[in-house]
Amino acid sequence: MSYFSVIYFLVFLPIVIVIYNILPKKIRPIILLIASVFFFFTYSKWLIIFLLLSSISIYLAGYFLNKLNVEKNNISKDLLIEEKKLLKEKYKRKKKIVLIITILFNTAFLFYFKYLGFFKNVLNNLLSLFKIKGSLKIVKHLAPIGISFYTLSAISYIVDVYNEKYEYESNPLKLILYLLFFPTLVEGPITKYNDVKDDLFKGSKVTYQSFCFGYQRILFGLFKKMVIADRLNIFVKMVFNYYASFPGPIVFLGAIFYTILLYMEFSGTMDIVIGSAQIFDIKIKENFREPFFSKNISEFWSRWHISLGNFFKDYIFYPVSLSKGVKKITSKIKTHLGIKVSSLVMGAISLFAVWSLNGLWHGAGYQYLFFGYYHFTLILLGNIFEPLIVKLYNKLKINRDSKIIVFFRIIKTCILIFIGEMFFRANSLKSGLLMMKVIITNFTFKGFKHLVLTLGLDIKDYIIIGLSLIFILIISILKEKNIEVRESLSKKNIVLRWLCYYALIISIIVFGAYGEGYAPVEPIYADF
Amino acid sequence: MEKLINILEDLHPGVDYNNCDNLVDARILDSLTILSLISEIEDNFDVTIPTVEIIPANFNSAQKIYELIVRLQEEE
Repeated sequence: MSYFSVIYFLVFLPIVIVIYNILPKKIRPIILLIASVFFFFTYSKWLIIFLLLSSISIYLAGYFLNKLNVEKNNISKDLLIEEKKLLKEKYKRKKKIVLIITILFNTAFLFYFKYLGFFKNVLNNLLSLFKIKGSLKIVKHLAPIGISFYTLSAISYIVDVYNEKYEYESNPLKLILYLLFFPTLVEGPITKYNDVKDDLFKGSKVTYQSFCFGYQRILFGLFKKMVIADRLNIFVKMVFNYYASFPGPIVFLGAIFYTILLYMEFSGTMDIVIGSAQIFDIKIKENFREPFFSKNISEFWSRWHISLGNFFKDYIFYPVSLSKGVKKITSKIKTHLGIKVSSLVMGAISLFAVWSLNGLWHGAGYQYLFFGYYHFTLILLGNIFEPLIVKLYNKLKINRDSKIIVFFRIIKTCILIFIGEMFFRANSLKSGLLMMKVIITNFTFKGFKHLVLTLGLDIKDYIIIGLSLIFILIISILKEKNIEVRESLSKKNIVLRWLCYYALIISIIVFGAYGEGYAPVEPIYADF
Repeated sequence: MEKLINILEDLHPGVDYNNCDNLVDARILDSLTILSLISEIEDNFDVTIPTVEIIPANFNSAQKIYELIVRLQEEE
């Protein structure tokens, strides 16, 4: 059941709301759990067993970690400082064993479902490279829906309990609801347990306001997906499948359109996710913050898929940077070359780990690894040259934060992002490289106008896309200025408010790209 | 506290560290600067900052960073 299907927002969600609201407060989280199990079933049926195994493993690990924490704290009460340190070390070793086993157990499922096929290909390529006869054959299995998301949420929970950030959850059903919660199940965001636990289990009544706010957000998501993303899909498909037949500007336009499509699809899904949760008074943190206003790649990644970036920052970047091994290497550099160079090296090592994992997380394929290393290189170069660029601006007496310079910095960032997303969407790494070659070697505008109007989009489509993007741009600018459109709208009188809702509903029905001649975008992040 | 302000000014000059309370939120301290800062704090104050403490709430102002150092010194 897709979030964009009529069955989801006009049948499933209203039924859940009604049952949820008529039952007592204490039972309501159980309704959310049952609804989530049903939702999972519609996608992956009995593969739910793997999610339950993950839940049981992190529940048990949480229980044992908590037991060790309590034991350690009880013993350490009457000890001297030195003895306390020794005790802490002793228990840290025990806890680490529990943590490592749990993480390995959970990532094993992820590896099995997502990466086994890829590593089989890598191994077979190596075998043929060294002219060794024989090849591995592995039957690919369908992965449980949302495995990439709930595995990371499970890891974040268990690492936080390990670090004594909060106590373990003693009710296994609550833990299952946290991992399985239907709005965040398919495409995230990756939630942290202590960010959602209070809202998730409090069983607040669905009020008129939470219902309206939630459905407004869902409508906005539907608008982004159905009016813009689905409309651009045919053009994007044509360009990415037959890039060799087109000149460079069309291929580059395909990359731009794909980036817009991806943003509209993914952020549109997030609108539906956040809106659905909001109906039940459950606050889910934003996963996007106007990413196309970023002045550099680093900033872009702090505004795009924020929950994934935060996961990597908290559980990979800082732990790797501050690990004993990396500290040992960088302390020598610090003595000889100073703090800034040592931090740069420290950051580079961790960034390499982050972007290798980020690329792989997005998919098992060389193009995703390339996508990761492309961004790693851009961020690293940005870090290295940042002081020089600042000096250059100062020397030329140019204000780097003036409107015109900021505008050009944003354009530069967007172009780099378009190229990255082109590799990301390409059918293979080879296709991505060939597309790049077309852009560089065949950059001619001959026949451009004709092609633009014959690849699935006509003048009417461009006008609808243009006006819709202007509408979204205005909302984004207001958000950047900390003006919440929905808050402001809710203060207006009822006639104006409902006029806006109807305008949005009618525009989806009239301008939505569905029916003959259109191919809706498949949920992109659901496959990651 | 003065020692900490000096470290911060060396790493990222031109900020009013006595009053600024959104060092992380306003991206004044980015992740690389935080790494440099942690390295300097660990060398100068003889504490180890665990990764779990690297949250905006602990690094948004010089005062908060100082409170973190004092707390970690007491715990150790």
